[in-house]
Amino acid sequence: MSSTLLLVVVAAIAYLAAHVVFGWLGRKYLVVSGAEYLVLGILLGPHATRVLTPDVVGSFAPITTLALGWMGAAVGVRLYLADLVKIPGLTYRLALVESALTFLLVGGTEMVVLAWLYEIPLAEAALPAAALGAIATASSVAGVELAVKRLNERGVEVTQLGVSVLINAIVAVAAFGLLASIWHRPVLVNGRPLTATEWMTITLGIGVIGGMLFHLFVGDERHSDRIFVSLAGGVILVSGAAAFAGLSPLLAALVFGVILVNTSRNRVELAAAIAHVERPLYFVLLVFAGAAWQPSASAWVLPVLLFLAVRALGKVGGARLVTRMNGMIPVLGPDWGRGLVGQGGLALAIALNYVYQDGGTLPYFVFTASIASVLLTDLMSARLVQSVLAPLIAKRRALLRPVESPPAPRTPTADGG
Amino acid sequence: MRRIIILALLLGGMRLILPLGTGSSSAHSLLTFGFLILAAYTSGELATSARLPRIVGYLIAGVLFGPSVLNIVNVDATRELAPVSSLAIALIAFLAGAELRWSELRERGRAISLILVCELGITFIALAALLVGLRDYVPFLQSTPTPTVIGFSLLFASIAVVHSPAVTMALLTETGARGPVARTTLSVVLVSDVVVIVLFSAVLALARALVPPTTGDVAAISLGSVVWELGGAVVVGTALGAAVALYLRFVKRELILFAVLVTFFGSEIARLAHVETLLTLLTAGFVMENISHDGDGDALRHAMERSGAPIFVVFFALAGAAMAIGDVAAVWPLLIPIVLVRAAGIWTGCRIGGKWAHIPAPTGNLVWMGLISQAGVAIGLATVIAEVYPTRGEPIRTLFLATLAVNQTIGPILFRLALVRGGEIAGTEPQVDPHGAAITAASN
Repeated sequence: MSSTLLLVVVAAIAYLAAHVVFGWLGRKYLVVSGAEYLVLGILLGPHATRVLTPDVVGSFAPITTLALGWMGAAVGVRLYLADLVKIPGLTYRLALVESALTFLLVGGTEMVVLAWLYEIPLAEAALPAAALGAIATASSVAGVELAVKRLNERGVEVTQLGVSVLINAIVAVAAFGLLASIWHRPVLVNGRPLTATEWMTITLGIGVIGGMLFHLFVGDERHSDRIFVSLAGGVILVSGAAAFAGLSPLLAALVFGVILVNTSRNRVELAAAIAHVERPLYFVLLVFAGAAWQPSASAWVLPVLLFLAVRALGKVGGARLVTRMNGMIPVLGPDWGRGLVGQGGLALAIALNYVYQDGGTLPYFVFTASIASVLLTDLMSARLVQSVLAPLIAKRRALLRPVESPPAPRTPTADGG
Repeated sequence: MRRIIILALLLGGMRLILPLGTGSSSAHSLLTFGFLILAAYTSGELATSARLPRIVGYLIAGVLFGPSVLNIVNVDATRELAPVSSLAIALIAFLAGAELRWSELRERGRAISLILVCELGITFIALAALLVGLRDYVPFLQSTPTPTVIGFSLLFASIAVVHSPAVTMALLTETGARGPVARTTLSVVLVSDVVVIVLFSAVLALARALVPPTTGDVAAISLGSVVWELGGAVVVGTALGAAVALYLRFVKRELILFAVLVTFFGSEIARLAHVETLLTLLTAGFVMENISHDGDGDALRHAMERSGAPIFVVFFALAGAAMAIGDVAAVWPLLIPIVLVRAAGIWTGCRIGGKWAHIPAPTGNLVWMGLISQAGVAIGLATVIAEVYPTRGEPIRTLFLATLAVNQTIGPILFRLALVRGGEIAGTEPQVDPHGAAITAASN
């Protein structure tokens, strides 16, 4: 079967699954759609049915790179500063410390374990460990969105989870972008290799220049088709430029998204256009991520299990620690970090980006760990969020409910009611 | 000024980023794709401000940034982006088919047939006669026996008569023109694509009899394969169109994704079934439009236009990048008579056919301007000649591609002018006689 036809079939199956089966499951049982595409990809891939051969998977690399960029831009357009400054600083502090703790805890533990298990120097183990730290930081956006939509409630706890998911995404993408700059393959410019700082500047520069170009390009245009063309061109250019230079398309596109949403008058249309295309690209990314997976050649069960455990500890424990230190336990409770345990597309996107990166150590081990985490937590991510939010909302409602006067004695009526 | 700054920034950005490459071809093709979308789109806007069609800007961007001039988009990149062109052609074909309505075809069928027969017939004979007359100056006809001259002249003429559905559709999408000039031109262009394939097959068979091929794939084109290519395309396209109509009736969701999937699916099925891709998608679009409920077809068309917008931009830019400026320069003394005779043949044929079919004067007088553009199936046919006759086929192909480059550039300008003169572009008044304008308005 031809690779194009195969992609069509895969996308059609993904589409049907999303709309018919998982749309219904999501509404009825609060199950987030995503992991099933990953499983589909693994089943179609070279290590199961071989329907998608490595060549086919390789030929769709531009689409997966574009999907990475698109996901980065989707994170970026959430960073509309005028809205973000309205949120109290404490919310950011909690989110940022929780992210940093998770990153450090997972990264540090994995570095020691990988160095010991694979008998490699600590410096060599630092790269996959840091990548795992970045992956561990990311949480499922879809889970929070689905649960919040279901509960239809606003409040401190809902805001905290929303901001935490956003900060987690930024920390994860930025940390990985930094990693890609530090461990970049040497490229000689004017007779000397570029430094990590220069690579990082280039990554950010690609996003900034892409955003400026878009701004110049669109001008005062309000026509949706033109905005879409400009947006597509911008994301493709930024993702392509970053990937071509061996940098992270996720970070470059995130910066592009930030510039876009904060400088354009069409930010609502832009965010809508990005969200509209993100979903099909996300499905394709998941399928090809599944197909690109290879069983790690090295022993992986122990470090992967450790990754899952330490990550959960980082999320729940880190959130509890920072909440206690800031005296917010009465408002947020001790376990709100449980709502951040779910992982989805972003974690996989970072892992896939790591696999595509030149010279990464233990790429398929990192990829396996992220796949295991997504498979285990994605489906139940919304339920985890709900299990955190529902008691907190109930508690808040109970506190806010006015003291009711005792009911008046009932008087008999003509119908005896 | 803003657009010049954008182009300068894009060019500067590419110059900076290209030396930093790590050698990944997939990332390079993505980078080139993004660059072409923005650069070509900006050039399209520059063209609009110069009162030229956008696609002329796209083509110029392709030439400028392509291998012939700045080489930002190199030959490898154009090759890597070939699937984009295939997708664009499929999208254009589907959209073109969806523009045709059965009632209209019945109503205009006779007129379309007469214009087509006249303009194709006259242009074909005129071009073949021109080459025979200029045999001493044409590289592949010099010092050859008369049967060879006749055979290759006919072969060249059979591909040079082709029009461009892509340019026609792109201009109709850009201008929103749907008047009699637009619709008659579109119908003639679409039907001519099918007729030209049949004509080419017959001419190739005749050429084989006159000049037996020494090497190459002698069985490249047989009558049976042509029948299957065309008939099979109609069958496959009908099935696909019916399936699309069913989807629109019962599901009608995620139309942008669906539009891209349908096009991918249609072109792949056509390729696997060895049927004509363009005709398959054209038939699918036609069937979908004519059996689906009111508004369903419009919704899908809009989704296709939207999802296809960046693809069309890159498609035309790649067409520009593929134009070999060196080849054009090498054969320019021959090009002038060929381009002029072709245009004259189309003009004469349309006038005669239009009068014969009693088409109102403004439409009949303007349709020829929409038929000058050239591309699409002809490039494939030129390649077939090069395969069957490797020695002489290659110079034929080179001459044809040079002709195509000229017609591809002036064609959109002329077609836009025709639409302006016909008063079919929003904000323009008919520039023909008042009587004609009245007829135009009435037939709308």
